[in-house]
Amino acid sequence: MSVLRSFAALVAAKLVAFATAPKRFVVTVQRAIYDLRTGKRTPWDVSKSVLMTLFGFAMVLVLLFPLFWIFTASLAEGTRLFTTSGIFPDPSTYNLGAYRWVVFESDFFFVDGDWGYPQLVLGGSGGLVSFRWAGTETGPGAVFNSLYIVSVTLAAGFGMIVPAAYAFSRRKFVGRKRILYGYVLFTQIGAGLSIATLVALYSLFSSYGLTNNLFVLGLFYAASAIPFNTWLLKTYMDNIPVSYEEAAMVDGASFLDTIREVILPLTKPGLAVVLIFVWLAGWNEFIIAQTLLRPENYPLSVELYNIATEGRFSTPWTRFAAFANLFALPVAIVYFAAQRSVEDGLSFGGMEG
Amino acid sequence: MASSQLDAGDGLSRLRSALPFSGRDWGLLLVIPGVVLFSSFMLYPIVYLFYISLTDATFAGSVIGGGAELIGLENYVQLLGDPQFWSSMSTTWLFVAVSLVVKVFVAVGIALLLNHARVVGKRYMRAAVIVPLGFPGIFTITVWRGMFSDARFGVFNTLLGRYNDVMSSLSAPQVLLFDVPIGFLSGRWEAFFAYVTTEVWLAYPFMVIIIVSALQDVPKSLHEAAMVDGAGWLQRFRTVTLPAIKGPVLFASILTAATSFQQFLIPWVFNQGGPARKNELIIVYGYREAISFNEFGLSAAILIVAIAFVGLFMLVAVRYGGLAEGVGEE
Repeated sequence: MSVLRSFAALVAAKLVAFATAPKRFVVTVQRAIYDLRTGKRTPWDVSKSVLMTLFGFAMVLVLLFPLFWIFTASLAEGTRLFTTSGIFPDPSTYNLGAYRWVVFESDFFFVDGDWGYPQLVLGGSGGLVSFRWAGTETGPGAVFNSLYIVSVTLAAGFGMIVPAAYAFSRRKFVGRKRILYGYVLFTQIGAGLSIATLVALYSLFSSYGLTNNLFVLGLFYAASAIPFNTWLLKTYMDNIPVSYEEAAMVDGASFLDTIREVILPLTKPGLAVVLIFVWLAGWNEFIIAQTLLRPENYPLSVELYNIATEGRFSTPWTRFAAFANLFALPVAIVYFAAQRSVEDGLSFGGMEG
Repeated sequence: MASSQLDAGDGLSRLRSALPFSGRDWGLLLVIPGVVLFSSFMLYPIVYLFYISLTDATFAGSVIGGGAELIGLENYVQLLGDPQFWSSMSTTWLFVAVSLVVKVFVAVGIALLLNHARVVGKRYMRAAVIVPLGFPGIFTITVWRGMFSDARFGVFNTLLGRYNDVMSSLSAPQVLLFDVPIGFLSGRWEAFFAYVTTEVWLAYPFMVIIIVSALQDVPKSLHEAAMVDGAGWLQRFRTVTLPAIKGPVLFASILTAATSFQQFLIPWVFNQGGPARKNELIIVYGYREAISFNEFGLSAAILIVAIAFVGLFMLVAVRYGGLAEGVGEE
């Protein structure tokens, strides 16, 4: 719970910072005007700053143009997107029809958007009072499959990455160098490799009877995330001075205490990055999922791909956009909240300079 | 309490002495689960893939059912004589090289601008600019396909049309105008251009993050000292900034180049490596041979070659790029 609370606090702090940004901006402008009046800065100096800022802002707009475009597209259900009227749909036609389609008609939450209703069943088979989701004859939708896969990936990934990173960073053991070297070699081969081995994977999974198994798929994604993230976390832990642990030991802390009180708190930014990357490994992949799973087990990524390729040249853009926005939303929120940690955690310690 | 701990300690030491490796090696136990999982899902399939590449398997069933026979290196020989293989290989390398160069320039430019003292609100801009990293590839790549639509009213074609209007109203020469609509996905080089643009857009956030964090470690006093000495912007860039970001840029280049080499989604979503198989990057080529043409053996051979290339590239990069710097220290 404390994790949730601190996460909520983080998001709130971010929102406050963003909400008060205009005020700070006004203060900056006022100060510039004051400096101009009192002659502390020359007009040329100030206009250089203004130009650079405008340039930076324009660049951000250009870079984020695709995302802005797809967001406006998601609001334009029922209109034709590619017309003479321009790139962006007419704001007067904005509506939430596409989102309604995602929630109540697509397979996002429940198959065919059939939500049903929760039902209390007295004296049912599962204990005295059991709680049942009734009315959905079609069953749970893609989001549950995705969440299931991601939970397995996160549990397996964290359970293996964190201890291994600690061991690589702090312990000496036989084969340490060799294994680490192998991991570094495989860092960048994760996702691409799984497509390359798809042919073999399909045969292997079939012969072991593991196709159409969400649990095994989750494990598979964890496996693909191990080398890069173990290495990332290890380099992050390397930057924590060993003297901290020694000091704690001198004060009578046990081995487990040093991990709980020193290592884990100081590794938080690194853990945040690993959390995001492992999450993404399970949340985004779709080719392996599409090959190994049957339609009733498709996660959101596969459903999204199916919407995108429904017709070779006629992607239903508004529905695709709404579906994709809802699909990317959780990741975007986590990412937004942890942005500072991502920047810190990705700095790769020793790689600088 | 104390005695029970002692007992446990005794048990542990007895256990340790029974193990084949010395007591200090227990760190290995923390690493093994990951290695096992990784090997069984990643390394084992590669070995199996190599086995398939030595057979004449034509479809998944023949691999599983054992209907395929070992034919040695025949697939590889066939591969060397396949013009599509060479075309695919060279396109892939070109794709990696071009996108890498563009990526480095774009990312360094963005990082320098968003770390510049004169830019107000650069922290917010940085937060916004790295957002593409957080979105699923299938989402962003499909969006880019929509923007590069061949249609007359596709996003980029509309933009180019507007540009044409402006230019011709300024009575600019015909050379500066574009011949709209451009078939971004149906022309060979137009499609290649679209791939590179998208790849750069997907990879720049990672580079920007790494470069910015390197730039922030450069002490301000260094810049000030250089300015006092009368060094111009270019000179300061060369003597202060460049040495600071050289390592991180090289590092990020190695990582993104290896990913670009295995780029699958962009060509696949855009036009499946078309037109007429001209832009099939190597993984797409291998995937198509298996899925569309039922040549599992040949496909396996292609993919093994691709994996070997990436492995070799990473080996060289790790050895000479100092990627595994932290590994050697003991």
